Amino acid sequence: MLLVVVVAVSLLALLPLLTLLRQAMVSSDAQSLALGVDGAEQIRGTLLLVAGEGLIGGVLGTVTGWLTAGCSFPGRRLLRIAQLVPMAIPAYLLAASLIDWASYRGLRIHGLGWAIALLSLANYGYVFLLSTESFAVSGRRLMEASRSLGVGPWRCFFRVALPIALPAIGAGVALSAMEVVNELGAVRLLGVPSLSAGILDRWQVDGDPKGAAVLSLAALAIVGVLIASERQLRRRSRRWNLGGEAAPQPLWHLLGWRAALAIGVTALPPLLAMLIPGLWMAQGWQNLTPEALAELWPLALRSLGLALTASGVTVGAALLLAIVRRWSPQLMVRQLSFVAGLGYAVPGSVLALGLIVLGGPLAMSPLLLLLWGYGDRFMAVSKQGLDAAFERIPPSVDEAAISLGSSWTDALRRVHLPLLRGPLLVGGLLVFVDVVKELPLTLALRPFDFDTLAVRVFQYASDERVGAAMAPALLIMLLGLLAAAALVPALERR
Amino acid sequence: MSTRPTLRHCLGLGIALLSISALACGENLAQAQARNQVVNVYSGRHYNTDKTLYAEFTRRTGIKVNLLEGKDDELIQRLRSEGTNSKADLLVLVDAARLYRAQEANLFRPISSTELNKDVPANLRDPGRRWYALTRRARPVMVNTALVNPALIRTYADLARPELRGKLCLRNRASVYSQSLVADELIRRGATATSQWLRGVIANNSQPFYSSDTTMVRAVGQGQCGATIANQYYLARLLSGDNAADRNTASKARVVWPNPTHVNVTAGGVTRSSRNPDAARRLLEFLASPSSGEGYAAANNEYPLKGWGNNPTLKRFGTFRTSPVSMEQMGRRNKEAVQLMTQAGWQ
Repeated sequence: MLLVVVVAVSLLALLPLLTLLRQAMVSSDAQSLALGVDGAEQIRGTLLLVAGEGLIGGVLGTVTGWLTAGCSFPGRRLLRIAQLVPMAIPAYLLAASLIDWASYRGLRIHGLGWAIALLSLANYGYVFLLSTESFAVSGRRLMEASRSLGVGPWRCFFRVALPIALPAIGAGVALSAMEVVNELGAVRLLGVPSLSAGILDRWQVDGDPKGAAVLSLAALAIVGVLIASERQLRRRSRRWNLGGEAAPQPLWHLLGWRAALAIGVTALPPLLAMLIPGLWMAQGWQNLTPEALAELWPLALRSLGLALTASGVTVGAALLLAIVRRWSPQLMVRQLSFVAGLGYAVPGSVLALGLIVLGGPLAMSPLLLLLWGYGDRFMAVSKQGLDAAFERIPPSVDEAAISLGSSWTDALRRVHLPLLRGPLLVGGLLVFVDVVKELPLTLALRPFDFDTLAVRVFQYASDERVGAAMAPALLIMLLGLLAAAALVPALERR
Repeated sequence: MSTRPTLRHCLGLGIALLSISALACGENLAQAQARNQVVNVYSGRHYNTDKTLYAEFTRRTGIKVNLLEGKDDELIQRLRSEGTNSKADLLVLVDAARLYRAQEANLFRPISSTELNKDVPANLRDPGRRWYALTRRARPVMVNTALVNPALIRTYADLARPELRGKLCLRNRASVYSQSLVADELIRRGATATSQWLRGVIANNSQPFYSSDTTMVRAVGQGQCGATIANQYYLARLLSGDNAADRNTASKARVVWPNPTHVNVTAGGVTRSSRNPDAARRLLEFLASPSSGEGYAAANNEYPLKGWGNNPTLKRFGTFRTSPVSMEQMGRRNKEAVQLMTQAGWQ
């Protein structure tokens, strides 16, 4: 039975991609399968972005994760929550507002370096979320033990905490790198060639779906490597831990300049993420018109409704896959559940086309298609953390439950779900924030007169009407902050 | 424990909200469609004033207008994928290159309308009667007179002059505005001359290629660039905006009209899949008519189909001789133009 379910979910996830591949293969107007100069440059651009963002975002996420989970200093709790702020702000908004703000002052923001910096800022939160969770919960006892044995904070971090958190950090880096592979607006504005732009241009502008499919495969390969390496990393350092009973207080108390440094390091990214659009808004607040404000309410309601529904659907499906992975020893099931996360690799606009091709003849409602797309696209976001958390639960727990006569549903309800509440909530909120920011799918699949906040921001920004984009941009940030606030209990109480 | 109910509540709320909105939307559509009183518009334009115009159309005719705004290429692709199932009746696109793409994908149906033939000049509509222009925009040269003598530039060809070495700023190749400009040159002057011209222009380029016109116009005003090519409405927008510093910067950029000047359009056509082609044609006629055409153009500081309009900022720019090249030709030669640009090193 479980097998049927997992096959169905994976098929749902794969169907749009398979449709696209088929379309690409049968289409007759294709030019060539060669990548060409542009294609090579686009792959190079995406690889550089992934490497740069992975490094900077990874370090930033790990450092902020450790400082706010393992150390105590004034303002720690607030700053911990504040790390989620940058995630709430779409990268294209950061890029557009920074470029505009700087150009107003005669500065030019352009090129790979800026793209890496902005993407790191926008996406290090994935690393932070997964690593801080791990720092706070896993290996708590080991850390306490090492401390009582006289190990200092630095050594404790490098010898105990970091190795334990590596799988979570790896998962976070992989997630953030996938966001980078998919990023379109920001990199385009900054003039960096990228696979996502290349795929879209080949498909839509050159009318060459085969060429687009070839580039999609390149993107797919990059994401495949990311997911697989994250898996490998996790397998090598698998540790079981129930967590839960440990006291939530951080271990290391920072004083004096150390505390000041910790505050500076953890405050800088969220401050920057708010300052960039903030300064830009301050420069153009005169452009806020009453008519722009009047349309905000329906826009926000639609964004909210879509995001909530999508996160419910996606987390449910991810949980299902995770459960099956746990109980089924079959290799095929594991592979299927791996493949189901690949929707993340495909640029949203390409996925959207697959869905339109699929959904048209079935006369599916555009909203259903849109939710399907969100689920497909963001499955990996909720799955990644969930799988990591599931793997921390020792199999002995399951065995104990079974030997006491529980069925797997019992075990799920009474053992796993309570233990997984944190990761589930984190996964759900990540999807929520992603959907609020999501652009290509929403643009391509929404019904008539169904604009969302992100759609509006993007339309105004791409018309270079920066002032009009301001109000919806502000609301996107607000929704993201709300989501971040909802995470507080998951982060603070355990 | 406390987190569980929150999550569940949120979900419930979300589903409720969604189904309500979906329900409301579906019902309106069905009701209106039954009476054949609806036009579904896919539009590459996103101006709130457009909606005022659509509302005015509904007031006059009783025909409801549903709007889906998006990026042009995305809308074309969506319409292609939807095929005969598409609900769209009218497709409004910006730039000749996109119109041609949509036309080649067989998305439009030919319509006959004496009104459209009267209101839309021949070179601004498809000879095959599939699409009709609604507004015009021009892409003049803008110079900072402290750095570049405006008298140097009489045509686009002059942008390749060695006197402009290190002073020119250009929009990237991905921008359809750049592509159409080059296609215009290509048609008027031929491939060899255009290739040569492109090499000269690229040699004069002084900055990494820009991804937006506004930043280029500002760079000219601030003196980082001596000259650039940008659509007139970006400068007009800065000049008539509420930001004093921007107005000041923009005032230092001077419009120089090459002879002839490259002009492009926003245009619309009735879709092949349309179920309400008559209503769609009526909306098109309404939008192209001189009275509402002014409004459509004014939203974005654009020029109406004929004459120069009443926009005071645009009036200050003066008038120009428009390129005789037709929109249809320009779209047709787009790919060739992009190839030449790539060969010349336009990034």
